[in-house]
Amino acid sequence: MIFMVMGLPLAAGGLVFILPRNGQRNGVLFWTALSHLLLVASFWIYPPHSALNGFFALDSFGIIILSIVSVLFFAVSLYVPAYLGNEEGRSNHVFTGCLLFLLFAMTVIALSRHLGLFWVAVEFTTLMSAPLINFHRRPQGLEATWKYLMIGSVGIALALLGTFFLAISAIQIKSLVLDEVLGQASLLSTPWLKLGVIFLAVGYGTKMGLVPMHSWKPDAYGEAPGPVGALLAGGLTNCAFLAFLRIYQICHAAGQTEFLRPILLTLGMLSIALAALSMLGQVDFNRLLAYSSIEHMGILILGLGLGGLGLYGSLFHSVNNAFSKGLIFLISGTLYQKYQSKRINHIHGVVRVFPWTGGLLIVALLAVTGIPPFGTFFSEWMILSAALTGRHYGIAFFYLVFLSVVFIALVEVFLRMARGVPPAALVERSAKDSWGTTIPPLLLAGLALLLGIYMPPFLDQALKQSSVLLGV
Amino acid sequence: MMINNGLDTALAAIVILAICLLGSSRLGLIIKLFALQSLVVSAIPFLLGGDLGIHKIIIAAGTFLLKVVFIPSMLFWAVRHVSIRRDTPSLLGVSLSLLLAGFLVGLSFFLAAQFPLVKITFSDLLIPSAFSTLFIGFLLLISRNKAITQVVGYLVMENGIVLFGFLLLETTPLVVELGIFLDIFVGVFIMGIFINHIQNEFDHTDISQLTALKG
Repeated sequence: MIFMVMGLPLAAGGLVFILPRNGQRNGVLFWTALSHLLLVASFWIYPPHSALNGFFALDSFGIIILSIVSVLFFAVSLYVPAYLGNEEGRSNHVFTGCLLFLLFAMTVIALSRHLGLFWVAVEFTTLMSAPLINFHRRPQGLEATWKYLMIGSVGIALALLGTFFLAISAIQIKSLVLDEVLGQASLLSTPWLKLGVIFLAVGYGTKMGLVPMHSWKPDAYGEAPGPVGALLAGGLTNCAFLAFLRIYQICHAAGQTEFLRPILLTLGMLSIALAALSMLGQVDFNRLLAYSSIEHMGILILGLGLGGLGLYGSLFHSVNNAFSKGLIFLISGTLYQKYQSKRINHIHGVVRVFPWTGGLLIVALLAVTGIPPFGTFFSEWMILSAALTGRHYGIAFFYLVFLSVVFIALVEVFLRMARGVPPAALVERSAKDSWGTTIPPLLLAGLALLLGIYMPPFLDQALKQSSVLLGV
Repeated sequence: MMINNGLDTALAAIVILAICLLGSSRLGLIIKLFALQSLVVSAIPFLLGGDLGIHKIIIAAGTFLLKVVFIPSMLFWAVRHVSIRRDTPSLLGVSLSLLLAGFLVGLSFFLAAQFPLVKITFSDLLIPSAFSTLFIGFLLLISRNKAITQVVGYLVMENGIVLFGFLLLETTPLVVELGIFLDIFVGVFIMGIFINHIQNEFDHTDISQLTALKG
């Protein structure tokens, strides 16, 4: 089953390069996404066996991340035909092909138990997402993609170096399969482990977009089409977060959490602070969302660094954040196509012309800023209480301050866009909501809301098992 | 003190070639120097001593095909296509970047001394030269403007990382090594395509002039 869930998107990605028509390629995209989703759902009931000498297996982290990716990809696969339909006469073979290869790589990341293989898959996601970012072929898109490629490649090269250092540290274990490293963690050589952890944190931190390695993120998310932004901000960042979970697992087994925690707390606080300040006065909607993503990545890493309840909160937040970011990036894609602009000043009167999209925009605002009853509120609350019980009062204080700054910045912008008089051109064309671009974000909004009012027992159990893996 | 003449000479050559790269601005020369450096890197598995297993041969052959044959020809194609001959000299100036390179080599020896290996297997020079190559590659990447030189800087970094990888030839599974080769192959291919796009769009490949995105 493990090979099926990996092989399916790979084969489909190859197939779309052969198929002659856009409609057929959209069909392949949808059916692959649906079968992937069903396969992953079946893993919750029948956990798959490990494969290839333990190189691939599914633990509770893996299934959480894999499910997030699969649900998001399904929503995106529903959204893409309507989105591309509005881009006149473009062949979509590179776009759908890269999307499917990206799904393949993210599936491998969630399943791989060998840290080297994990790295190979993460690098592959960078390469496959670069052509997606440049889809609109604007000159700025090229600049953004080049930055993304170079900064991403260098960052990920440092992660490879960190992986090698970890392997040197594990030279007596003679393996980088996670189970063997964790089982014999006392044999790890401490200086090399620490060096490896630093490089891994810098490398995968670049991929996740943590300050100060974040400079590619506003550019890349700013230029990426909406559905791609949804996959990057909701899926790919969580794959990089999985790397941090693995590092934490290894440090915990080797008794080095006290070394790792200050690194995580610093990266987390820096990201939240800088993102919050950069959001004030932002003029480009997608760049604003990119900074919001940096902020939420900071929250994830902060929760991990705080430990205790923070671990559960952080994992729960990764689920909530994925759905709310998926939602808002799909909305941003719709708005870009309707208004032909990403500048906040050019978008107004959304509720009046597009009641559904406008309504979803307000829902997204509540979900992204963490207003109850959305799931994000509860996970952010857990991380706050972890800071308080751990007596990190300074962190708790600044966490609240910067979250309030973010709230103010986002409310101001979103309400300005939702209200007001729509541009005359849109009224004359009597532009309307279309179902193809409304249903997928509606689905994600429903999930984001559901997680706030009802915690499914299976998810609760997986989250608890995960925090046990991290040593609670 | 471990001494292994062939290996030590090769490692020194790798670092010296990296320093030469820093000092040169003709793109053709830069690509040739990189190919030469990769050639020396691909010879390292044979100089390490020990059994000559299938694993070592595949790594050496893979490095040779990828970094001595494929990537340089791809880069030469890109240079011809964008019809430029020279990169503007380093932002730091040649003498300052060479001075920095010397400092980085010293730093590498210092770092290597801080992290003792549990079992010293090969030459004492392997870790310092790996660090040096990595740092100098990074310096090349951040101090140059032309897209092609930036790619070469990234690849020199990658060569430094590969040297660390040679410490682990016994333990790294072949499938992971092949995955790394595949990633570099696809990566350079995609970078080549984007250099081409940048040239068509802007009529130059000077990354320092791409500054539309801010804030």
